[in-house]
Amino acid sequence: MVLRLLQRAGILLGSLVVSSVIVFAFMAVLPGNPARVALGVNASDAAVHEMEHEFGLDRPLVVQYLSWVKGLVTFDPGNSYVSGTAIGPQLADRLQVTLWLVVTAMALAVVVAIPVGTVMAVRHRKVSGLALSAVSQVGMAIPAFLAGILLIAVFAVKLGWLPANGWTPPAQDPVMFVKQLVLPVLSLGLVQAAVLTRYVRSAVLDVLREDYLRTARAKGLRPMRALVRHGLRNASVPVVTVLGLQLATLLIGAVVVERVFVIPGLGSLLLDSVSQRDLIMVQDVVMILVVAVLVVNFVVDLLYLVIDPRLRAGAR
Amino acid sequence: MRHHIKKTALVVAAAASLVLASCSAGSSTSGGGDESPGGGATGGATGGTAGGQEASNASLSIGLVAEPANLDFTKTDGAAIPQVLLYNVYEGLVQLDQKGDIAPGLATSWTVSKDRKTYTFNLTKDAKFTNGKPFTAADAKFSIDRVKKDWTISLKSAMDVVDHAKVVSPTKLQVVLSHPSNDWLYRMTTRVGAMFSRTGVDHLATKPIGTGPYKLGKWTRGDSISLLRNNSYWGDKPYYKTVTFKYFKDPTALNNALLTGTINVIGTVQTPESLGQFENNNKYQVIEGTTNGEVVLSFNNGSGPMKNKKMRQAVRYAIDHKALLDTCWAGRGTLIGSMVPPTDPWYEDLTGLYPHDVAMAKTLLKESGEANETLRLRIPTLPYAVSCGTVVKSQLEQAGFKVKLDQLEFPAAWLSTVFTNADYDMSIIAHVEPRDMGAVFGDPKYYTRYTNPAFSNLLKQADEGTEQEQVTDMKKAAKMLSQDAAADWLFVLPNIIVADKGITGLPKNAISESFDVTGLAGS
Amino acid sequence: MSAQDALAVQPPGPDDLVGSAPARRRVNPSLLVGGFLVCLIVGMALVSFVWTPHDPTLVNASTRLQKPSGDYWFGTDKFGRDVFSQILVGSRTTLFVGFVAVGVAAAIGVPLGIVAGMVPRWLGELVMRGNDLLLAFPALLLAIMFAAVYGASTLVAMIAIGIATIPSFARLIRSGTLQVLGTEYVLAARAAGRGPFAIGVRHVLPNVSSLVTVQASVSFAIAVLAEAALSFLGFGTPPPTPSWGRMLQESQEMLWSAPRLAVFPGVAIAVAVLGFNLLGDGLRDRFDPKLEDRR
Repeated sequence: MVLRLLQRAGILLGSLVVSSVIVFAFMAVLPGNPARVALGVNASDAAVHEMEHEFGLDRPLVVQYLSWVKGLVTFDPGNSYVSGTAIGPQLADRLQVTLWLVVTAMALAVVVAIPVGTVMAVRHRKVSGLALSAVSQVGMAIPAFLAGILLIAVFAVKLGWLPANGWTPPAQDPVMFVKQLVLPVLSLGLVQAAVLTRYVRSAVLDVLREDYLRTARAKGLRPMRALVRHGLRNASVPVVTVLGLQLATLLIGAVVVERVFVIPGLGSLLLDSVSQRDLIMVQDVVMILVVAVLVVNFVVDLLYLVIDPRLRAGAR
Repeated sequence: MRHHIKKTALVVAAAASLVLASCSAGSSTSGGGDESPGGGATGGATGGTAGGQEASNASLSIGLVAEPANLDFTKTDGAAIPQVLLYNVYEGLVQLDQKGDIAPGLATSWTVSKDRKTYTFNLTKDAKFTNGKPFTAADAKFSIDRVKKDWTISLKSAMDVVDHAKVVSPTKLQVVLSHPSNDWLYRMTTRVGAMFSRTGVDHLATKPIGTGPYKLGKWTRGDSISLLRNNSYWGDKPYYKTVTFKYFKDPTALNNALLTGTINVIGTVQTPESLGQFENNNKYQVIEGTTNGEVVLSFNNGSGPMKNKKMRQAVRYAIDHKALLDTCWAGRGTLIGSMVPPTDPWYEDLTGLYPHDVAMAKTLLKESGEANETLRLRIPTLPYAVSCGTVVKSQLEQAGFKVKLDQLEFPAAWLSTVFTNADYDMSIIAHVEPRDMGAVFGDPKYYTRYTNPAFSNLLKQADEGTEQEQVTDMKKAAKMLSQDAAADWLFVLPNIIVADKGITGLPKNAISESFDVTGLAGS
Repeated sequence: MSAQDALAVQPPGPDDLVGSAPARRRVNPSLLVGGFLVCLIVGMALVSFVWTPHDPTLVNASTRLQKPSGDYWFGTDKFGRDVFSQILVGSRTTLFVGFVAVGVAAAIGVPLGIVAGMVPRWLGELVMRGNDLLLAFPALLLAIMFAAVYGASTLVAMIAIGIATIPSFARLIRSGTLQVLGTEYVLAARAAGRGPFAIGVRHVLPNVSSLVTVQASVSFAIAVLAEAALSFLGFGTPPPTPSWGRMLQESQEMLWSAPRLAVFPGVAIAVAVLGFNLLGDGLRDRFDPKLEDRR
């Protein structure tokens, strides 16, 4: 178990190093000189050189890479090329916003998908199960931003129940925070829920085929009870995998919903920084996203060990 | 950059608060020989109450599209920074009033010497910077000198004509030009003329310090910038206690924000097709005027097929401007035939020079010998450019041109490909800088690559001549430019503001670089 | 999995519980509906090559924003272009998007998966780690980064999405390969002295091809959605090439005055995604009901 843990941690570390190199290399080939973009195109070459020097863009790439990594590891990523302000607090702010959005949406997706998916599996030959199945298929087919636009049109503009967009930090005004969170979370969460139900359904279907459930049923337990008592734990393995993957997609997938709902999250920071060629900022945002994904994968791996007794045994 | 190009491509603004002052200062630069007094007896900003309203505790939220990257317009280009800061946080010696005339600002009056090279400004003694320091002639000299010395944006060249500035007394500043220039005082109304504190320029990117009626409140990056009323302002206090500029990347989100009461004003409508939902609703007022933003179908005059004058002319004949404006910008905006917006003194309707004439276009295309060339129409990813690009391509193809449409990410990719490297045949961009004919076409190294010594001479004459000569020469220059088909002018962007009913003082025309909120009031 | 398990015949169970009877003989509704929808899209694309009611890119100020009529079945947009013709031609963009993305992903992911399954276990694991690393760059992120480097175009966006889809192919195909390698006929082939390449091509590839088909269908749907999202952000298909994603984006400002402009492309996207998803589900059920958990 410990060995397995160490092995996983090692993989995480290795992945982090490799991906940081990839991200850095990618940024190095990005066209558009950040100093020139910051200064405006008619700026003199001398001014551009001076600014490059100020940013340290004239140093060898290896040195630039190392100082970047150092900044990340010490949680002091330095200043933005464009705004000249410290990057760290900004990243923290934006990440917080996106996490609120993504985690809430994910929670909504899970809360909806697990019962619905289970029902779909248990009743998969019945009209109700098929109907749910059809609904989830349609849900999967709707782009999240379209869902957002429609939700705004109906609940904000037409009915006036909720604000159309915006973001208020929870500490500032908790009521407004919740109000503004409802629609983006719905548009992000429901589409995810549709995807997730498919996986829950298929995982539960598999479990239903297992022998021990047959036995339980033979003992007279009703299918739902048998499933809840014996099967959900096993069904959760593939579901957790998918959750991890989805969480990763969602972190960046939220960018579209952030745009629709004017939420100052990580995704919108990425888009802004790309267009302003604020390279160091882009690098940092991408790296945060990548780290988040890798860490989520790592956690999922650990969860396997907890959930699946077979894996634990196999690890020894 | 001489002009600035920004996502909004609009400098929405106007000095609504200074309507009173404008009457007295209208002809301040008419220096025909005599020393002409500038400004009225009272300074502009001290005359009357802003917008005729008492200061209140109300707040106002204005929705815009392009957020500044930082707050330092001395080093960072773009319209977004002066839009928020100029006239609100920073003041100049002079400012532009709603009619487009030069009105007093921190200078209550000024005189121009006989040879029109020496300007003497009488400064207010009441103004104070938000760092507590009083505004004096030394600060004014410092600010003017600093443009040449420390500014990096190309607009700073407006100050090149200044030979030196001299402090005569704490309230009297003399500026001596190296040659007479009609343009210089005008440029002093733009960001170039903003007055800084000698001890307040260390953190311009985040902490602007000016003398204006507002000071910076909170900047939530990616979301909003709020301005707070400056209670120690030397002039009349503005009506709103706080004004928040909220930024919306997505124009539809901007509309929704007004519809659901998140904001009170849409500063620049980017989706003219959506205006119906406001015009048919008596909760809102729609204000439509004009701007300085000429949407230009620019040609690469320096190389490639568009170097051929017949090609350029053919393109101009092939475009149906009326139909283009109707489809591209819902028919809102003004058709022009040259690089002069209708609000400039030397405006002339030149749309008749190249009427829509497909037969003519086809003939010229054939004569040019370039008919087999595929024209690269490289447009930035901006709403009006994408929209107009679609129409231009279709119209040109109907006249027999071969056109390839490339969309370049704005600003970075477009700037480096089209603007810096001039690797394009045609592009579409709104030049929003005031009086930018010289900037866009007077410099052979500019991306239009237009070289015409006769044109440049006219501009120089216009700048150095009398005010009357300036108007005549600028008219001539504009016509020469148009006849030479140096570009095609699609239309002038309209200034469309939608606001809650009851908000007064919103400017009809956006002709300065500032979204001046000092004259706004509620009811 | 022991040999006994593998050989065990599944006992028929109560129909409502396990669904052990795969819909092999029965009509499979997913396959049917999915197949129909996909054929519809492909049909539209084919038709658009030979016929559209109007030129889909012809801008005409005098016909702008017309309501649906006999002449303009779906009405016209703000440029006066026929919406129906654009929807027809837009199906080509959608298919192009899917083919490029899935093509890139399959062309790299499938061989990678097979090789990773056939090489020694530790090496395979290492390849899979690299594969997982790629997962850390979600499709949208890659597409935005690519668009920043190479400019926004359909092809660039789709290659990015394809690359981001490689891991799901590789992972799936590797597990399929491992399974095939354990079968008796592969053991027999090995015993007969067949080389690894021959085994890979002759035995593994045909046996995992059903997996590839299923995954391709699902990835197709994802690519179509991604194109729509990228178009919304301005990184997708540049004008004037008709694209459903961009039509949807362009329609936004007229959502109140002309909601139909959003409805038609919105429905078209949903139909395409639904079609490919259902097709994938149906194929999965058809090929092997037990594969259902391997996505």
